[in-house]
Amino acid sequence: MILPASTRFVSQKLENGLTVVAEINSAAKTTAAGFFVRTGARDERPELSGVSHFLEHMAFKGSERRSALEVNLAFDRMGAEYNAFTGHEYTVFFGAVLPEFTGALLDLLADLMRPAIREEDFELERSVIIEEIKLYQDRPMEVLFEKARRRFFGRHPLGQSILGSEDSIRNLRYLDMRNYHEVRYSPDNMILALAGQLDFEQILTEVNRLTGTWLPGKVQREFPASEPQAGEVTEAYSQAQQSYLALLAPGYSYQDPRKYAAMLLANVLGDEGSSRLHWALVDSGLAEAAGAVHDEMDQAGIFELYAQTDPEHAREVAEVLLDEAHRLEREGATSLEVERAARKVATGLVFASETPLGRLFHLGMDSLYGQEPLPLAKMAADIERLQAQDVNALLEEKPFSRGFFYQLVPS
Amino acid sequence: MAQVHRFANGLTLALEEQPWNPGVSAVLLIPAGATTDPPELSGAASVLESWLWKGTQKRSAQELAGALDALGVQRDGGAGSEYTSLVFSFLADALAPVLAIYAELLRQPAFPLEGFAQALALAHQELASLEDRPARKLSLRLRREVFESPHGQSVLGSEETLAALTPQLLESEYHRRYSPNGAILALAGGLEFETTKAMVAEAFGEWSGSEPEFPEVVLTPVHSLRIDKSTAQAQIGLIYPDIGPEDPDFYTDRLALQILSGGMSSRLFTEVREKRGLVYSVSARPTSMKGFSYIYAYAGTTPERAEETLQVLQSEIEQMSAGVIADELERAKVGLRAGLVMQQESSRARAQIMAGDLFLMGRVRPLEEVEQKILALDLQTVNHFLATHLYRDPWIGTLGPASLELSE
Repeated sequence: MILPASTRFVSQKLENGLTVVAEINSAAKTTAAGFFVRTGARDERPELSGVSHFLEHMAFKGSERRSALEVNLAFDRMGAEYNAFTGHEYTVFFGAVLPEFTGALLDLLADLMRPAIREEDFELERSVIIEEIKLYQDRPMEVLFEKARRRFFGRHPLGQSILGSEDSIRNLRYLDMRNYHEVRYSPDNMILALAGQLDFEQILTEVNRLTGTWLPGKVQREFPASEPQAGEVTEAYSQAQQSYLALLAPGYSYQDPRKYAAMLLANVLGDEGSSRLHWALVDSGLAEAAGAVHDEMDQAGIFELYAQTDPEHAREVAEVLLDEAHRLEREGATSLEVERAARKVATGLVFASETPLGRLFHLGMDSLYGQEPLPLAKMAADIERLQAQDVNALLEEKPFSRGFFYQLVPS
Repeated sequence: MAQVHRFANGLTLALEEQPWNPGVSAVLLIPAGATTDPPELSGAASVLESWLWKGTQKRSAQELAGALDALGVQRDGGAGSEYTSLVFSFLADALAPVLAIYAELLRQPAFPLEGFAQALALAHQELASLEDRPARKLSLRLRREVFESPHGQSVLGSEETLAALTPQLLESEYHRRYSPNGAILALAGGLEFETTKAMVAEAFGEWSGSEPEFPEVVLTPVHSLRIDKSTAQAQIGLIYPDIGPEDPDFYTDRLALQILSGGMSSRLFTEVREKRGLVYSVSARPTSMKGFSYIYAYAGTTPERAEETLQVLQSEIEQMSAGVIADELERAKVGLRAGLVMQQESSRARAQIMAGDLFLMGRVRPLEEVEQKILALDLQTVNHFLATHLYRDPWIGTLGPASLELSE
């Protein structure tokens, strides 16, 4: 695979502990930047469930220097493409701009990391968060994954909800959020990543100026022992008219080099459009959707297999999905399947990386998980080098036989 | 800048060369969509597209997919309201074999009977799953309300029309609408035009057929639609007639919509979400079809707040006629210009826009032309337009629990 060679990596750890990483691409027409904060649903005490995500919203509500409206105006005055998202393990704030606005974008993103969290804004935003919770209640596929994860992880914090519940959000106080922010948003608990056309020296000067007053913290993520639960549960859900099925099974962590083999295994089993589950369930017309993905996390990982179908076919779809998972576990993937999956994943990377914004996510996530960022060409080559034996070695641990099978059905 | 060629059989090819890009994205539009589905066979274009993938005269469905997988082709697309699009991205050196496979798919489908039953079963599944997608359900149903003509037909069809489909009827729909006349192949990526043109000629040159007729747009009188459904959020949709890319005021309209709904400082986001906390999601987005353009405004909120949300949404949209201020216009210009640059960095985004331009206007607008037209607009021109082009009298749709009552 021939890929552009004009990119190079640079990184620097500042005195306050903030890591700045960049992939410089002088041929790019834009610059992307983002703060990747190492905090999410898994880092929340149960009574603060949803605080990370709510805080992501509050970051846009202004700092000591800016009001909420001024934040929004500042992004739009740059013509930025920007957003933020919260997961179980991270909160990410990003923007992409024309290179002339890079300084202004950094100024604004840095400000987002030091929000004022004003009570009045907090109360108003609470109702937006509740609307978001309700929006997802009307999407049974999202409900499926949240409920299935909770079952699979049991009491482990990786089973906690990202949005929180209506109750936990109603009970949250803005001072709790301020405390949470103070602990979790320390400079040594975040990465500033940049990609595209940029001058790294100039950026470092700017970032030092913007974050010089930020004090390092001592926050550590907790890693309670994980005991994935095997089992099977079916629950009724009044908002669903279709049936939703998920099998969650133990996978590999972000730090584990076997995560790429796990990605290929999931692809062989459940790539949407061409995979074992596709042919058995979607091509045959049994299910509206079916697939499998691997989610690599901080010292943990899972395979997620899923399908959606009408209630009349739910039993058959469940049987076929479990059969396919177990057959793969018994017989392994063929060399041809693995070769094709590797080819698909490697080419997919090329297209996901066309823009600086696309590259930013690889770079930021790798750094956040303590990994050396890989050039695109190296990552693609590493994936294409994987063989059936690498993938099949993962099946010796019989992951799908140790999974939790969860079904959400109409009431 | 895109180069365009029209082949003798009617197929239009457009390429934007991106020499820095190892990848290529292709968008192939076939003039078979919901709008040209016979009303009694609504859903045909969609079932036909999935049937197509069930194999060719040379390869089974799995062999076909395997061949594309071996070339690393990323695939997407499906039937839409006016056309079927096949979207595929691949590494530039795979162009010839990729084109050969797509030509085989389009020109030599095997149409196996078993595959027909499977494609039809999937179509029933997709239709049923609409019940769990309230926002999509409302937008499809409301669009149906707007048109007397087939433009409002859903790509998913209905239980009755799907039941009316037979293999013979679908095959005749294939012959009627899968034609190079009216078909568009837009490419962006690391290719060179003359070589590409020769390879496309090789793959598609022998293809023949005539363009299906597009129906005339006929609108219904403005009215409202109410759907009872026990959802957590009420869904609100408004369709306002608008102008399309053929109109001299097109860019003025686009700037106005950017001010209305283009970023987090836009009017709708500020008034509906930021100041009142009524919604998580609110937007107003333009859509252009052949012969008619409209804005779809959307908000989702808890049923108790639906009335207020509808009222604020509607009044903000209609308030546009009072004009915008210089600062808003400046932001909108910067936003649209940045969007033009970002579009050039993504082969997929660029190819999609080129295909859309060719479909609606028969040409690809050069980015420089778009930029100049946007820059040339001043506050006076925009406000004059807004004072005379009124966003008003929408078709209004709501979906939600029976307790939801809205005054209009």
